[in-house]
Parts: sequence; structure tokens; C-alpha cells
Amino acid sequence: MSANRRQFIVGLLCASALPTAVFADAPKTTGPNGEPAAPASSVILSDLDVEKLQAGGYTAAFAWHELYDWSAAVSRGAQDEFARLGIKVVAETNASFDAARQTGDVETVLALAPSILISLPVDSESGTATYGKVAKAGTRLVFIDNAPAELAQGTDYVTTVTSDRAIIGARTAEAMNAALGGSGKIGYIFHDANFQVTNQRDQAFVWNIENRFPGLEIVARAGMADPARIEDIANAMLTQNPQITGIYVPWTEPALGVLAVLRQLGREDVKIVSIDLNEPAALDMAKGGSVAALVADDAYAIGVTAARAAAASLLDRKVDPILVVGAGIVRKDNLAEGWRASLNTAPPQSVLDALN
Amino acid sequence: MSLTLPPRAVLQGLIVYAGFVLIFMFFAVMLWDRGFLSAQNLTNIVLQTAPATVLAVGLVFVLAAGEIDLSFGAAVALAAIVAALVMRAYPWPIGVAAGLATGMVVGLVNGLIVAYARLPSFLVTLATMGVVAGLARELSNLQSIPVTAGPFIAVFGGGSLFGIPSLVFWTVAALIVGHVVFRETRFGAHVLATGDNPRAALVSGIRVARLRLSVLVLSGACAGLAGLLYAGRLQAARYTLGESDLMTVIAAVIVGGTALNGGRGTIPGALVGSLMMGMLSNGLILMGLSVSWQMIIKGLIVLAAVAVSLREPNR
Amino acid sequence: MTPVLQLKNIQKSFGGVTAIQDFSLDLHAGEVVALVGDNGAGKSTLIKMISGVYSPTAGDILLDGQPASFADASVARERGIEVVYQDLALADQQTVYMNLFLGREPVKGPFKILDRKKMIAETEALVKELDVRIPSASATIRDLSGGQRQGVAIARATHWAKKLVLLDEPTAALGVAETARVEATIEALKARKLAIFIISHSLDQVFRLSDRICVLRRGQQIGIRETAKTDKNEIIAMITGVAA
Repeated sequence: MSANRRQFIVGLLCASALPTAVFADAPKTTGPNGEPAAPASSVILSDLDVEKLQAGGYTAAFAWHELYDWSAAVSRGAQDEFARLGIKVVAETNASFDAARQTGDVETVLALAPSILISLPVDSESGTATYGKVAKAGTRLVFIDNAPAELAQGTDYVTTVTSDRAIIGARTAEAMNAALGGSGKIGYIFHDANFQVTNQRDQAFVWNIENRFPGLEIVARAGMADPARIEDIANAMLTQNPQITGIYVPWTEPALGVLAVLRQLGREDVKIVSIDLNEPAALDMAKGGSVAALVADDAYAIGVTAARAAAASLLDRKVDPILVVGAGIVRKDNLAEGWRASLNTAPPQSVLDALN
Repeated sequence: MSLTLPPRAVLQGLIVYAGFVLIFMFFAVMLWDRGFLSAQNLTNIVLQTAPATVLAVGLVFVLAAGEIDLSFGAAVALAAIVAALVMRAYPWPIGVAAGLATGMVVGLVNGLIVAYARLPSFLVTLATMGVVAGLARELSNLQSIPVTAGPFIAVFGGGSLFGIPSLVFWTVAALIVGHVVFRETRFGAHVLATGDNPRAALVSGIRVARLRLSVLVLSGACAGLAGLLYAGRLQAARYTLGESDLMTVIAAVIVGGTALNGGRGTIPGALVGSLMMGMLSNGLILMGLSVSWQMIIKGLIVLAAVAVSLREPNR
Repeated sequence: MTPVLQLKNIQKSFGGVTAIQDFSLDLHAGEVVALVGDNGAGKSTLIKMISGVYSPTAGDILLDGQPASFADASVARERGIEVVYQDLALADQQTVYMNLFLGREPVKGPFKILDRKKMIAETEALVKELDVRIPSASATIRDLSGGQRQGVAIARATHWAKKLVLLDEPTAALGVAETARVEATIEALKARKLAIFIISHSLDQVFRLSDRICVLRRGQQIGIRETAKTDKNEIIAMITGVAA
């Protein structure tokens, strides 16, 4: 096993085993009532359990907020686990970030009376309106990333499976520190919308920079609500703060836009650190470009855990209110392993070619 | 009168009904064991298409008058948000009035520019769509605004009277009023004439400018009502509401037999078109198709339906 | 007898361009006056002023001896003036009876619902009276021939006109038989004691139908002749400005 792969796996294990407190007052990922997050690995099904499930003739459905690399990986993880447990997937919907559509999707899917529903809510405010009927129909509901506040864990839904945002924040800060060699000025672009997952990750990054890395300073902050506007935002930031040497972007889709701007301005010396893997960003990283590191959460494992937790609930097991998976820093030197560990597939051929 | 085949225009108008029945039967057969025909699922389709149907009524008037409104989707969001914000501090009927008024103001702005400055409605409403969508984002600060007024939710959302959901009441009311006004009043006749031959309408003494203004205000009012229905159903108002309705409603209305360039329109057709779009979405999901295939097939069916219903009979 | 319509020294300018200079004419009930002139003479502009679409820049219009100024076309219509335009001003996708009542649809009941029965009945009666041969009052305009459409447009003007009917090239696009039918209709209008003002470039038609002929050339009124007392050559000379 290569040293890098070992490192990555150790990192993931540490991350999943110690999700809560890396530092005393560091941000923590907690459940709806402040419960500490349990590691994803804590959900276990015995062989007997698996046999029971396979004999149960259960079905499952998905109601996504949007389908792209990350959520597709989550979906794959869940579907592979369902296949293992003999649970048939009957429907998958994509609301394209439209809350009204998601409400309709959930309603429609309930007509198939699935035993399990896995969903990532677009809108935390329409919790009851969208998901109120799911538990009543006898369907076990598992949320990905965040659960609407007005729903009760245990009665309205089983659990929430997410990546540990506190850990991700720590890792992005660590990656930035490594990329800038311990000192530098940072441009911080955050997700300017009420979306728990990104908000907590962004804030954790800031906390880590301010408290752990004295050599790094955030000199510019910009909010991004619509990824389509990222180029204007990055342009403005770099023009007004030419001393920036590193930029944090809340996830890889807008990171591509920042990359384009760097190329246009001839500022390829500036390093980008972001979250999630996608092909163009990985390609740039493989070629030694501006993308210095991508923190990838264990998307595939999120899916597997969600499926497993839902199945456990079918067997009337008690499930922790919030389950977290870890995240690792993916750099050029561990790209292939990191990609596989997060998304459970080989990286695209273009990336592999660029690495050689 | 001798026995002749109904004119081609009439046959074309019937295509949407035939298409609807065919698609319904297809899903009924393919999905007979997957809950398509269950009362709950059929009700779902009706409820999910309610706001779109209300919007379609308004759009039929606009298209028949020879104009178009691209801003109604954004107006839905703004109206819902305004209503939700107002209801935080004031009694819910005031929120209702505020929501409807918002839609009508958007329509009024559209109408004034289109009718009196004589700018093309396509471009004007494209522009106001941007402005209104931006206002919706700004006003709500990109957050969802919860709606908690119990009576409002009952009247516009999940409540029901004699077992019939309130959404159905509103939709049926909009359809009946729309249809009667469109087919049986002077206003409706003038709308059709204006769309058909504006010059003829003008020399016939029809106040063409005022009429164009009226249909755009009407479209705005429908957007306001649709916004209230969404707010009631989702118990929250959000800037993304109505976004996907723009294309769906236009497709529904045109598939239903209303011509894009004016002079012809049908509200029952728009209803069937709207139900057909909802039924398509619903059935394709229940068939377990991947999301990509859902989009492809829906697009192909709409293409076919539009091609058939829009081919102009030989002049 | 007071003329139905009196135009006194009418002038119409658009910006710097004068379309009509100093035009005067009296129209009497039961009389057909033809307006002739080459293209660009200003005939359509004149019609539009009488029908209320334009207002004269100078001069007076009197209706039944009273000064009249038409704010728009509907006011002129209310005063009993009807126009049959060259393009007919019909809504192609509507029925004959809806076109006939366009802008003035009768309504009944508290909700002001269109009174289709009345419209259809009156249309059928009128169409029969004027011998306009169409399949039915509910036929769609788009399905009719040019002559039939013309007949409908004239029937409309006939139905509503109380005082004056203006016809702009009513048979320009029609064949011989259809032209004959339209001319018969115009004769019927004359018998109803309406004043008729017709623009035509067919001198044969003018000499068949009219009582007087008015010649316009480049916005200027060249002269008015009684049809019985003139001949084609004189009229042509007036139109072209070249001595016969």
C-alpha cells in the first residue's frame, strides 16, 4: 500500500473516529438538539440482518435537490448498498433546486409506497409541507446533509447523514496553509445563502485560519449566491487585492470560474483550495496548475451509510440522529487514491493521463 | 347544412384531447401496479398542476391578444414573498390582497410599456422578468419565508371543503371565470379580434391599447393567485417559485391549442395541456426512469404535440 | 336639403408634407360620389379624415349642417359614418357574424353575455337582403373567397351606416361576376338613402355607379363633375393633368 494511500486512509479514519472535538472551542458538527455526531461506521448490519432485509421485499426511492458529480456519487453509494441488501430502487427524482418541484417529487414518489426515501432538502423551511406525509405513510426517511428544523428526528425522519463540516473546514484550512507554505494573504469566497452545509463549512474554514494558522490572513471576503456570477466576484476581488496568493472557494463548480479568471488575469501563481471533486478541477491540479487542493468528503460512503441506516430502521433499530463521514485532502500526489476513496470510481482518463 | 368534415382548425384543436387520452392510457397500462391510477396519485397530479393551470388561464388571454408575457414566473415568486412578508405583521386577508396586488402591479407595468410605449411584449416582459426576479431575491434575502397563518394555509393550500381540496376550488374558479369571459363576453371577443387583426380592431372602435394593458394585468393577477397557492401549499415563500412554470405553462397553453401569434385561444385546451404536462412528469417518475430520460422524453412529447397543433391550415 | 357631409377647405399636413390642400365637397343622401385620382393623390388620407382616423390640419367638417370633429374612428361610427377599407379590416379567424358586430357586440343578461342568437339572426337577414352568397353566418372569414369577404365587409358597413358609407376600392381584387354583385349592393345602399363616397380607379365602374365625380391630383382638388355631363376623356385629362 503506498504511503500516500495509507496517509489518506488514516486521515479518513481519524476524521470519522473523532468527528466532534478537534479543538476545544472549534466548530463542531452536531445533531438537531445538539447531540454529538456519530461516525458513519457506527451503523452496522449483521449477516442475519442482511438476510432478513433481502427476504423483506423492500423498496427505496430518492428525491434529490440536484444531480451532479457529488450527489451522483452519494446516489451510487446508496444504490450499491441497496443492491447488497436486496432492496429495489423504484424511483429517483431531481428537483433542480426548485422547492416546489421537490414537494411534488416527494408526493409523486410516495404513490409507489417505497419503504425508504432518501432526500437532500432544497428548502429547510418547507419541511412539513414537503416531508410531513412521508413518515405517516410508513416510509423511512433519511436526509442527506441537513434536515428541516421543524421535523422531529425519530418520528418524522430517521437520521441525517452528512460529511463532518467541522472537519472539512479544518482540512481546507490545512490545505491552504500547506499550499501557501505557511504564510500568505487569502481571498475568502463564501456561499451567500441560507444553506447549512456550506455555511458551516465556510465558517469552520475561517475559524481554523484565524485560530490555527497565524501566518495566514484573510484580506478579502466576498459572498456568492449564484455560481453564475462567480467570475465577476473573483475579478473584483483580485483586482482590488492584488496581494492575494490563495483563494478559498466554497465548492468546485464556482472554483472553475475562479480558475478561468486567474488565467485571464495571468495570475496563475494564486492557489485555489476548494471542496468536492470534479474533472476539470482535478485536471488542472494534475497538471500542476492553480488548483492546489480539493477537500473531498466521502460522498460514496454517505450514500452507503444513508441506505444502511434506513435499512436498520426498517428492522426497528435505533439510529443515531446524525451520522458523519470524514473528509480528506486530495492533492496532485494522491489524486487517484483520493478520488477513489471519495467517489468510489476511478478518476476520469484525462486526469490519469495528465498525472503521467 | 350538408355533411362536411369539421374544418381542419377544429381537428387541430382536438389533438390535445386525443394526446391526453393516449398518454393517460399508456401510463394506466404501464403503471397499473405502480399506483398511477390510485386516487391519491391522480389527486396529486391535479394539485401539483393547480398553480400552472391558473397561470395558463392568464396566458391564454395574453397570447390570444397577440402579446406574450415572460414575466409571470418571476411575478409568482414576488407575489408569494410579498404575501408572506405582509402576513408576518398583518392579518392574512391583507397578505392575500398584497399578493394579488403585487401580481397586478407587475402586469400593470408590463401593460403600460407595451400598450402605450408600443414596445414588443416579448422584450418588455423579458426585461421585467429580470427586474422582478431580482426584486424577489432582494426582498427575501435569498431565504425562504415561512407562512404560518392557519386560515391562509387552509384556504390557499392544504385545506379542503366537502372533501375537495381548496386548490381545486381556486383552479376551477379561475377556469370557469376565464372561459366564460373569454368566449362569451365582449372583452373576450375584443381580445381575439385584437390578436387576429389589430388594425381591424382599431377601426372597429376597440380600445386596443387599453385591451393590451388589461390582458397583461390579468396575467399578473393570475400570477398573484398562483403565488398565493404556492405559498399555501408549501407553507413558505421562496424566490425560486414559478421559475420552472414559465416553460411548462407556455408549452401547456400552446399544446392546448392557443396560437402563439394571436387571434385564437382555448381555456379548456390549456387545462388539458396543463394536466397533460403534469401527468407526463408524474408518469415518467413512476416509471423509474432516470432523470435524464425523463427530460428527454418529456421534451420529445411536447415537441410532437406542438408540431401537430401549430401547423397552420393552408390559407 | 342639407348635405349629409360637408367638407370645407380641408387641409392635411404631416410635418412638412401637405397631403391634402384645400379640398371642398358636399355629399347628399341617396347620392354616389366617386373620388378618382392616381396613386399618391391623397385619396386614402381623405377617407381617413372623414372616418375619423385623422383630423384635418385646417378646414371644417360638417355633419348634417353641424360642425363635427371626430376624436377617433369610433366617434365617427357613432355619428353614422361607416367605412369599408381596402384591406377590409376583418378578423380572419372569427366568424362572419362576429365580424359584422365587431366592436359593437350585443349583450344580454346581467352578466353581459354575448347575444349570439341575435347576431346570427341579424347577419342571416342582412346577408340575404344584400344577396351576399356565403355558406353560413357562422363561416370563418378565412374560409371565404375574396368576393365573399368583400360582401361581408360591405354588409357590415350597410348594417351600421346611418348616414354615410365610404368605400375604398371595393372591387379592386374581384372578378367580373363578383364585381357585379358588389355594385348591385352599392345600388341598394343608394336606395336606402345613404350618402356614398367611393374611391375607384376603374373609370367604367365610376361611370356606371356614380352621380358625381371628384378628381384629386397630388393633394389638390382638380374639380367636380356631374357624371351625366362628362366623359372619360375629360376625367382622364383631369387626373393626369394632360389636356385631352
